[in-house]
Formats: sequence, C-alpha cells, structure tokens
Amino acid sequence: MNAPESPRSFGRNEPDYPNPLPRPEGEFEALQKAWKAPSGLSFITAVNNTYVGLWYIGTAFLFFILAGILALIMRAQLALPESNLVGHDLYNQLFTMHGTVMMFLFAVPAVEAASVYLLPNMQAARDLPFPRLSAYAFWAYFVGGLVFFGTIFFGLAPNGGWFMYPPLTGSKYSPAENADWWLLGIGFIEISAIAGAIEIIVGVMKTRAVGMSLDKLPIYSWAMLVFAVMIVIGFPAVILATLLLEMERAFGWPFFIAERGGDPLLWQHLFWFFGHPEVYIIFLPATGMVSMIVPTMAQTPLVGYRLIVLALVATGFLSFGLWVHHMFATGLPKMSLSFFSAASTAVAVPSGIQVFAWIATIASGRMKLTTPSLFIIGFLFIFTLGGLTGVMVAMAPFDWQAHDSYFVVAHLHYVLIGGMVFPLFAAFYYWMPVASKYPLSERLGRWVFGLMFLGVNVTFLPMHITGLIGMPRRVYTYPVGMGWDTLNVVSTIGAFMIAAGVAIFIYDLARKFRFASDDNAGNVWNASTLEWLPNGNYNTRSIPEVVSRDPLWDQPNLSKDVEEGRYYLPGTATGGREALVTSPFDARPQYILQVPGPGWQPVLAAVFTAAFFLLLTVKFVLTSVVCGVIAVGCVIWWLWETDPGPVRPPADIGGGIVVPVYVTGPANHSWWAMIVLMVVAGMVFTCLIFSYLFLWLVNPGAWPPQNVRIPEWTWPSLAAFLYCGSAVLIAAASRQLRGEDRRSPISVPILIGVALLFLCGGSAIDLWAQWGTDLSPSAHAYGAAVYAIMSLQIFFVLTTLIMGAYTIARWLARRLDSVRRTTFDNTMLFWYYTVGQGLVALIVVHCFPRLTGGI
Amino acid sequence: MSGRRTGQVLLMVAGLIAWAVQFTIIYAVTSTLCGRGWADAAFLGFEIVPMTIVSATLVTFSATLLAAVWSFRNHRRKGEQPVSGADSFMNHVATLINGLSLVIILWHGISAFILPACA
Ligand code: HEM
Repeated sequence: MNAPESPRSFGRNEPDYPNPLPRPEGEFEALQKAWKAPSGLSFITAVNNTYVGLWYIGTAFLFFILAGILALIMRAQLALPESNLVGHDLYNQLFTMHGTVMMFLFAVPAVEAASVYLLPNMQAARDLPFPRLSAYAFWAYFVGGLVFFGTIFFGLAPNGGWFMYPPLTGSKYSPAENADWWLLGIGFIEISAIAGAIEIIVGVMKTRAVGMSLDKLPIYSWAMLVFAVMIVIGFPAVILATLLLEMERAFGWPFFIAERGGDPLLWQHLFWFFGHPEVYIIFLPATGMVSMIVPTMAQTPLVGYRLIVLALVATGFLSFGLWVHHMFATGLPKMSLSFFSAASTAVAVPSGIQVFAWIATIASGRMKLTTPSLFIIGFLFIFTLGGLTGVMVAMAPFDWQAHDSYFVVAHLHYVLIGGMVFPLFAAFYYWMPVASKYPLSERLGRWVFGLMFLGVNVTFLPMHITGLIGMPRRVYTYPVGMGWDTLNVVSTIGAFMIAAGVAIFIYDLARKFRFASDDNAGNVWNASTLEWLPNGNYNTRSIPEVVSRDPLWDQPNLSKDVEEGRYYLPGTATGGREALVTSPFDARPQYILQVPGPGWQPVLAAVFTAAFFLLLTVKFVLTSVVCGVIAVGCVIWWLWETDPGPVRPPADIGGGIVVPVYVTGPANHSWWAMIVLMVVAGMVFTCLIFSYLFLWLVNPGAWPPQNVRIPEWTWPSLAAFLYCGSAVLIAAASRQLRGEDRRSPISVPILIGVALLFLCGGSAIDLWAQWGTDLSPSAHAYGAAVYAIMSLQIFFVLTTLIMGAYTIARWLARRLDSVRRTTFDNTMLFWYYTVGQGLVALIVVHCFPRLTGGI
Repeated sequence: MSGRRTGQVLLMVAGLIAWAVQFTIIYAVTSTLCGRGWADAAFLGFEIVPMTIVSATLVTFSATLLAAVWSFRNHRRKGEQPVSGADSFMNHVATLINGLSLVIILWHGISAFILPACA
C-alpha cells in the first residue's frame, strides 16, 4: 500500500490532484447506479444512511409529539385542583409513558438517528460501515416503539414510573402485564441503541475523509464517539436489570424481594448506573451539534477545540461516578454519598468548559441572529439554569428536602429540554438545507423559538417553587388551598405555549421540507465542514483530502473539485457500493470496504425480533419462539451475503495510492465491531457479578443459605478443562485455516465441531452439578444469582453454537478459506470471550462462597 | 491499532482511569465494611475505611502525576522532532486530561478527613 505520509495542500496545479480530469465516461453513472435506492415497495429495504437516517429522525420526532401530547393531558389534569379529567391509574400510566417515551424512544434515538444521517456526510464517508445494521436498528425500534406506545390505548401501559422501582413493579404489587411491557419493550429497544453505538464507533474511527486525523475530526464526531462508548458501557446495566426483574416476575427468582434475600436497592444501583450516564448520553451529542453550529453562525473557527475534547472525554468518564446521587435518600452511609456528591460537582467543570468555549467563539466572531443561533442562546440560558439547580441537588442535604418534589421535575426538564431539545431544534433548522430542497422559514422560526423559549420558562420556572412549597411529583391531583393552584395554572399555560411553538414548526416542515438526494438547498450558512459539500446518494462524488478542521473555509474550490471527481475513489472499484476505510489516527487510506446494499433481511429480522419480544410479553410463548427462530434465520440469511472476499486485485484510488478491496484481522472493520460487542457482553457480565456480590453483601451469614450444598470441586474443574480445551481447538482451527499447520490431517470443520462439543459439554456439566445439589433458584437470592450467572453463560454458549455451525456451513459452501476468513475470525473472537466468561463464572460461583466461608 | 497507538490512548485517559480505580476501591471498601457493620475495623491501629481512602488517593494521585508529567514532556518535546498532527494533539489533550484528573482525585479523597466512616 502506498499512502500519503502527510496531507498535502492542493493548489490549482492539475498534477497535484489525486485524479485528473476529464473523468472516464460512465464512471459517474456506475457510481450513481451502485448507490441508487430501491423503488416501489422495496423502498423500505433501502439502507443508505440518508434514507434510514431521515426515517429514524422522523420516527423519533413522532415519539416526541406523542409523549408531548401525554404531557399536555397531564398538564390539563393538573391545571385545577381536584380535577377529574383523568383518574389516578391513567395518570400513573401517563407520567410513566411520557418519561419512558421521551427518554428511550425520543431522546436517545433522536441523537443516534441524527448521527446516522450526519456522521458519514460530515466525514465524507460514502456510508456507515454497517448500513444494514443501522436499518435493522431502525426497524426494530420503529415496530417495537409503536407497539409499545399503543399499550396506552388499552390501559396496559406501564405505570410504575420511568425508573420502574421494585418492589412496586414486582409481581406482588404489579401483577398485571403493564410492567412486562416496559421490561421487555425497553430492554429490547436498548439492544437497538447498542447496535447503533457499535456502528458509530467503527464509523468514527475508520471511515473518514483522507487526512482527517484525530486533531481535525469535527467535534460532533468526537461527541458521538464518546456517546457511543458510553452506551456500550452504560446500557448493559439496564438490560441486565430488566432481565433480572423479568426473571423475578416470570419465574419467581427473588433478586429484589427482601424476604427471600433479595434487595430492591440492587435495581436502583443497576438502573442508575445506566440512568445517570443516560442524561449525558443525551446531552453530549447535543453539545456536539452546538459546537458545529456556533462557529458557522459566528463565522469563525471554534475556540478551545482541545479543551472541548477534554471536556467530552472527562464527562464521559465522570458521568459513571454519579449514579448514587439519585439514591441520596435511601439511607446509604454518608461517606459513600460524599464520593458521588464529589463526582456530581466535579462533572460541572467539563460542562462549564464547553459553555465558556462557545461563549468565547461567539465573542471572537460576529454572531448572526438566525433561528439556529436563537435556539443555541436559548439552550445556553435554559441548560445553565438546569445545571445550577443540578449543583444544588448534588448536595445531599438539599436533595433530602427537594427529593421527589416538583423541584426535581423542574430541574430535570430544564436540563433535558435545555440540553437536548433546544440544540436539536437548532440542528433541525441548521441542517435542513442539507436534507431538503428548501430551508425552513426564518420568520416562522423566530415564532417557534419565542413560543418554545417562553413556554419552557413559564411551565417549569414556577415548578421550582411548587416543589419547594411541598407539591410532590407524580400526584394526579391536589386539594384546594395548598397554595399550589396559581402556580399550576401558569405551568399548564406554559405547556400549551410550547405545544403552539412545536405546531408552527410542524406546519413549516410540511410546507418546506422536500427530501433531497442531490438537489439540496446547499451551503446557505457558509459553513466550513464536509456535510455541506455537494452530494447525492453516494454522498460525495470523490473523497476529499482535508488539511484543516474547517476545510470549506481553508481549501478554496474544494466543493467543485470534489464534485468533479478530482479526489479519491471517484467511481466504484468493484462495481458495487464501497467505502474508503482510513486509519484511526491519521486517516490514511487502508482499504476499500465493500458495503452491502438494500435487502429485506434486516427489515424482516427486525420485525421478527420485535415480534419475539412483544409476544413474549403477552405470554404467547410458542408463537414468540417461532418468531425468534425466524429472526435468527433472517440474520443468518443477511450475513450469508457478507464477507465477500477479495473480489478483485487492489485498486488505485488516485494519487498513486493502491489499496486492497478486502482485509482480515485487526485492521478489518468487523473485527473492531466484534471487540466492541465483546465489551458490551463483558459489561452485562460485570454487572451480573456486581449483582451477585451485592446480594452477598446484604445476606450476612447466608451465602450460601443454610442447607445449601456447593457442588464438589471435580465438576467445575472438569467444566473449566472443557472450556479451555475448546479454546485450544479453535486456536488450532485458526492456524489450520491460515495454512500454517498443513501436517494436521484434521480439517477446520472437525476442529470447530469438537470444540463445540467441549464448550457445550462444559456448560452442561456445570448446570448438571448445580442441579444435583437441589439448589432452587426461587427459594433464595443466592440460588437466583447462581442460576442467573449460569443462564447467561448458557445463552453465550448457545450463541457460539449457532456461530460455530454457521462457520462450518460457510466452510462447506466454500465461502471460507485462508484469505476470506472474516467470518471465522469473528466466531473465534466471540468464542474466546465465551470461554473467558465461563471461567470467571466458574470461579465466582464455586470459589467465592468457599473463600468467604459463609460470612 | 498498533502498540504505540494503544499506549498513546491509554496515556491520554490515564488520569481518568486512575480516578475510576480510586472511586471503585473507596466505594467498594466503604460499602462492604459499612454494610457488614465493620465500621471500626482497624489495621495496624488505623481505621480501615479512612486508611483505604487516603492510600487509594495517594497511589492514584501519584500515578496520575506521573502520567501528567510524561504527557507534558511529550507535548513540550514536539518542537524538537517533527510529529504528526494527531500525535501533537494527543500529547496536548493527554496533558490537559491528566491535569484535570489530579484535581478530581484529590477532590474525592477529601471526604476521608471530614466525615465519619459509616454514619
Ligand atoms: C415539552 C414539554 C414537556 C412538558 C410539558 C412535560 C411535562 C411533564 C409532566 C407534567 C410530567 C409529570 C410530572 C409528575 O407528575 O411527576 C413530566 C415528567 C417527566 N418528563 Fe416531561 N415534559 C416535557 C418534556 C420532556 C422532555 C423533552 C423529556 C425528556 C427528554 C421529559 C422527561 C420527563 C421525565 C423523565 C419525567 C418523569 C417521569 C416519571 O416521573 O416517571 N419531559 N413531564
């Protein structure tokens, strides 16, 4: 490979450009053809990031409207004391659904959706590295989300609050299916968020414009990178929590039932370990958007780029040290609380750094007061107020006073609306000319801003006082004479003002938004970044080489040169869809990624995955299992077409750079994705081990409980031996596939087959040994924890079984060989992970109770 | 990702990792000892809870100081030999992050001197 050492600054001399003009006939047409989206009914199988991104944003916005309508109903109910508009049960469903839908179906998906649309454009990549995965994530969310929302019309919606605390949500106090909808529905939608996060991490690290080294990466990409890493670390905790609570509800395994050794606080730990970072997960992408919009509006480069990167990374870390500040009122030792209080105040520092950087940028340029600018100013004002009340509730003694009152409702809305909704509206106005033929109206935009800004303050500012004078949150009504009446009427008026602003926005959207693939409104703001290059379904005609963070300002003629095809890869080397993979630090071209095109597989896989979870909720177990099997079948069908191998010799992308069209090993994009997936799996497992240790802590003298035997040493030792044996066999298969060990007469599928037997054998022996001790998972939290660890391991072993069988099938179909081996490598990585997890599980389950000797 | 690059990334977030280690240790030890009613447990005449906080703070603070000095020197050295944009950027951000981490780690250690262990 022959890659440039450092980015060059292209002048006007013809030989300095990577590719000369005129471009060969038919080159552009071939590119267009490869990226053309399907038409007719098959349109929904499109996977281009611009299509999926827009559907995704549209759906998230729909959920914002729906959850907003629920909020209006609540505000109408609370406008007057002792009102009977909605009863208490419906009110419980309303606030639970409003909070849940806003957080899980609007906020996170909206920012993820925006990045599906924006990231490739901003980095001048042709698409995200796994477009079908984005399509899968979108359809799963679309179907699952709509069905979940539909439960409100049947009185089946969850009603235990958006954080679903047990014991209220346990089967004793919530026997109906309302809670199951939340647990299965949200647990499943989180999986879709994780799929998106994997895509974003690999996309940011590996598909960028040539020369877009880390120091030239748009701040938005940095923000999305930190966002995605936080999802990967944080979301597994809530997935595990929902699994444990669902197992408790379905099978009576008492993780949270105090009488049988469980502890409801375990839920709070798991939920908030996800839940607090969640707030930053929503906020950081919004700050990324702000950091893109402010320099354009001020027409000057962003001040403090490096400090903002510092702030993003530091916030990402610190936000995981805050979770207990939601539990200040649970009676934990004050010393422990102080650590979280310290982290809660410390996290204000990086947020402050960002705010000052934006203010400095505004001060160093000349800010144009456009609608996006107004929303940014609104954001700074509202979010800073929310931040201030945040520092107040970070002090435990203050929090004890304000806990569960309307003060907290005011605080959380100031932070969420200020920190996410306003930047998102700024982004809608700012990027509309990229996605649409016409920008939105500036005149109406001012009305939208004015109504929303006043509305938010009129609604939520009085709530601080309502809370301080004693009104608790989550009450469906209140008696006359508490002094809360006027404040509540004012809040309700404010809520309808916000609604009016949003209604005008929708009206304007209907008037002005016309989807554009190659005839968008163009760079109306004179912005400096690559999403403003002329583009089409293939994104940019050629992939530019950038020399600064503001390429459109610093490289004159860049748009024209890119559009004419003077830069890299102006056509298609393999005849199909391709993306140029670049090195993660310096963004030098590494290889051409053959990107899969449209197909029914991700859509069907998503629909059946959704059906699996939703039918399970209503206890149609058999139908649900059938749907699950079909979903797995669709995924296999989808994967079968991937891993195409080196379909042609290395290709010249211009500038004398020749890159391969297929690579394997650590440089490969799916290797990266696999590593990220393993981190997700590792986090689920770590949270489970944390739960095990937590339950030990709350059960002095009962770990294991009286009369419970721990299996003899022989069995776990044998299981460990089999696990290790299977890993050794897979390593041998890998060597064999590489062709290094040709003396061995045993072929790859036989090695994989035997390895599978060993792996399943190890798991089966462990299960059998526990079973033999008559340990019951439902009698005590100890048994529940042990069986939960084993169940997770069995799930991984079964997944490895499917992957192993699939790998054998590819070998038999001659789709796997020494060169074309990405499938094998992925299976191998997953295998090692499963073995590692199995060994740790054995150590914890069999050694820990022996070591602690029952204390 | 090459070994050099992995090292660079680790150096960049070393201070924050040190903070995470400090946080995990002090929280785990406090919760376990307080949860089990071993508030007064002592080792060599020192109460374990404050001793753990102080020693975890000292160790992680020193490690971060080392990382901060190292990244600062890398950053200062950039004039002497040509480095890529990405390298110079990483060295600078590493210095900033490790510097901020020093303050955060100290901030978390202070509670040992103010609060009783398990009240
Ligand atoms: C746009 C105008 C909005 C209005 C008028 C509004 C109104 C309300 C009301 C009336 C409640 C119930 C308070 C209670 O009874 O305790 C509530 C709760 C909540 N809202 Fe909003 N909200 C809005 C936007 C948002 C947004 C954008 C988000 C998140 C992104 C959000 C997240 C929440 C959450 C998490 C809760 C708590 C739910 C619970 O207690 O379980 N809201 N909101």
